[in-house]
Amino acid sequence: MRAYTASSEEALRARDLLKDWAGEGFLSEAQYHRMEQESVCDLRRTNIFLRIVLFLFTLIVVGAAVALFFLLFLPRTATQTSGIFLLIFAAMCYLSAEAAVAQARLYRYGIEEALAACSVGFLCAGIQAAFFSGHLYSSAPDRAEFLVPAAGVIASLWIWHRFGLPYAYLAAMIFVVWLPGFWTSSPSAQHAIVAAFYAVGLFTVAAVRPRHRLTYLNNRYSIAEALLWLGIYLAINLQLSPADLFGQWGALRTGSEFSRPFYWATWALTWCLPPLVLARGLRRKDRFVIAAGAVVAILTLVTNKPYLGWQRHTWDPMLLGVLLIGVALFIRRWLAGGPGEIRYGFTARRLSGKDKQWMNAGAAALGLISPHPIAPSPQTGSPGAHFGGGDSGGGGASSDY
Amino acid sequence: MTIFTRLEQWEQRGVISPEQHTLLAGLSRSEPFSLFLELNVLLYAGILAFVAGLGWTATAWSRQLGDVLVLTVLSGLLAACFWYCFSRAPAWSPGETPSPNLAFDYVVYLGSLIWSVELAYLEDRFHLLSGQWDLYLLATAGLFFFLAYRFDNRFVLSLALSSLAGWFGLTISHWPSHQDVAYRQYAILYSVMVGGAGAALQRRGLKSHFFATYLNIAANVLFWALLSGVFNRVGDFVWPLCLLAACGASLAWGLARRQFPFVAYAAVYGYVGVSSILLRDMNSGTAVLTYFVFTGVAMLVMLVLIARRFGREA
Repeated sequence: MRAYTASSEEALRARDLLKDWAGEGFLSEAQYHRMEQESVCDLRRTNIFLRIVLFLFTLIVVGAAVALFFLLFLPRTATQTSGIFLLIFAAMCYLSAEAAVAQARLYRYGIEEALAACSVGFLCAGIQAAFFSGHLYSSAPDRAEFLVPAAGVIASLWIWHRFGLPYAYLAAMIFVVWLPGFWTSSPSAQHAIVAAFYAVGLFTVAAVRPRHRLTYLNNRYSIAEALLWLGIYLAINLQLSPADLFGQWGALRTGSEFSRPFYWATWALTWCLPPLVLARGLRRKDRFVIAAGAVVAILTLVTNKPYLGWQRHTWDPMLLGVLLIGVALFIRRWLAGGPGEIRYGFTARRLSGKDKQWMNAGAAALGLISPHPIAPSPQTGSPGAHFGGGDSGGGGASSDY
Repeated sequence: MTIFTRLEQWEQRGVISPEQHTLLAGLSRSEPFSLFLELNVLLYAGILAFVAGLGWTATAWSRQLGDVLVLTVLSGLLAACFWYCFSRAPAWSPGETPSPNLAFDYVVYLGSLIWSVELAYLEDRFHLLSGQWDLYLLATAGLFFFLAYRFDNRFVLSLALSSLAGWFGLTISHWPSHQDVAYRQYAILYSVMVGGAGAALQRRGLKSHFFATYLNIAANVLFWALLSGVFNRVGDFVWPLCLLAACGASLAWGLARRQFPFVAYAAVYGYVGVSSILLRDMNSGTAVLTYFVFTGVAMLVMLVLIARRFGREA
């Protein structure tokens, strides 16, 4: 069922871990080379930069080739016929992705990923054009049109399962957001349906995960679970819902379009969820779930005042900042006080060479996008210069060049 | 075969010691589990939120609180940050210096941001330099460079480089005409200066691990400036030739040093620039799409060859 064998994936995991340990000095150079040679695998990988560029160029080639086909051979064809051809292209893209993996042994190489992504896109566009093209401009959409996002969900989940691409799971979750719009016009019901879908996914992942706790699949399920927790939170927090991004449920949540019990139930849930997610992440020592828990906890603090209809103050961000800094310093100090700087299996020490790389790259990039108050627009060279301009973005570098 | 089986085999064959086996098997099971990255992210987010709130409050409440109180608080915070940094910092070394503790780098960063807030407040309220923001930016860049090198801090180095870029841009904004051309030329001058300074400092062994930051910023500013020249059709051959030369240099550097971001820059910026020239007078949709298919395939083939020859991972 999976495109890559377990032994290949385990070998790749072993190589990644060895690199990490060698980077942190847990292995000598000689040990690393010997162990690396004994963890060979036939899969072809490349670094992240070439992977992204290969992904982009594959998208360009596939998109241009399909557009060229329609321009040359089907210039004035019916939408249904175009839909059928799009479905054929979806199949071709998927088969090409399979061939790239089976024949060329590509693994996270950009090319097979772009082909798989195109197959999902063409599938949805093809189903829409082939079966529902008459409803494109209709005020009352066909209820069966939910098949388009449903196909997107299924295809994305299959790509995730087959190729192990984490963002395919995210794509499936985004397709789910479109589903309830075809079934009900009630915003409350739409939020509840999306949250219910994510909850079902969460229970499924939580049920499957324990079997794979010590295998390469643990990381994959960990990302899926973190995404599902985040999705559930965003679906229930009426102040910031992912659906708003797609304009389905309107731009602003005022509370008036929801019943009072529903509104206050979601407010209560936004407070219940963060400790639940954090506790689960910490108990399972799951990095992605811990991150999801921290994010939803911060979002709860940020959206609490709008939820309650209270006025925001200019010093609120300062208080949040003090809280975050205080929590970080307290945890570090508390962990450092344990025997060997370890308490309950946690430490604040760096144990992975990868963490150092992330920190170095992140520090350089985040420094550039930091708030930089001395960055007025170029026109403000006059005495009336506007204080507080350039609230983000490279200290004027981005605006001036 | 899982990592645990492999570790057992390596231990049995004497490749790793029993102590190493215990340590590595524990790490594979996340025992102990390191919260290093999470704590760093929390500190960074906390400082950003704090400084944003500080600036916002100082702006919104300056009249009610009074300048003396605002400046006293800002100066007090600034003095506390710098006192902490100078009193706790290890002795300066030209090489990479580890932070004395987790919070240290963030205190330097916090001090730098508070400095910016205070300076902006001073100029806004008292117009000390009559709105000469470029001088503030130049002075700030100088201070940030000093702090970055004294405390070995990449956050502050990036702030210094962006302040310097702001100074270049703002200086040109005082000029009366031809600003686009001037911006472009000074962007190139900025990137050459930053890249050259980074190279010179690296050659002298002064915090040579900063070189990648210098080079990435210089390369991106240079490519944007060259692309803007190509898009604006200023001069027929100069900008395209400069762009091709820069792409060639970036590609050669990236391959020679295994710095693959530079290979990616060469591929993407080069493709965008060359495509904009070749597609300029192409009006047929068929021709445009054919161009993308063939050039896209050519780029893919070239990139795959590069990836197989140089960029293999695993």
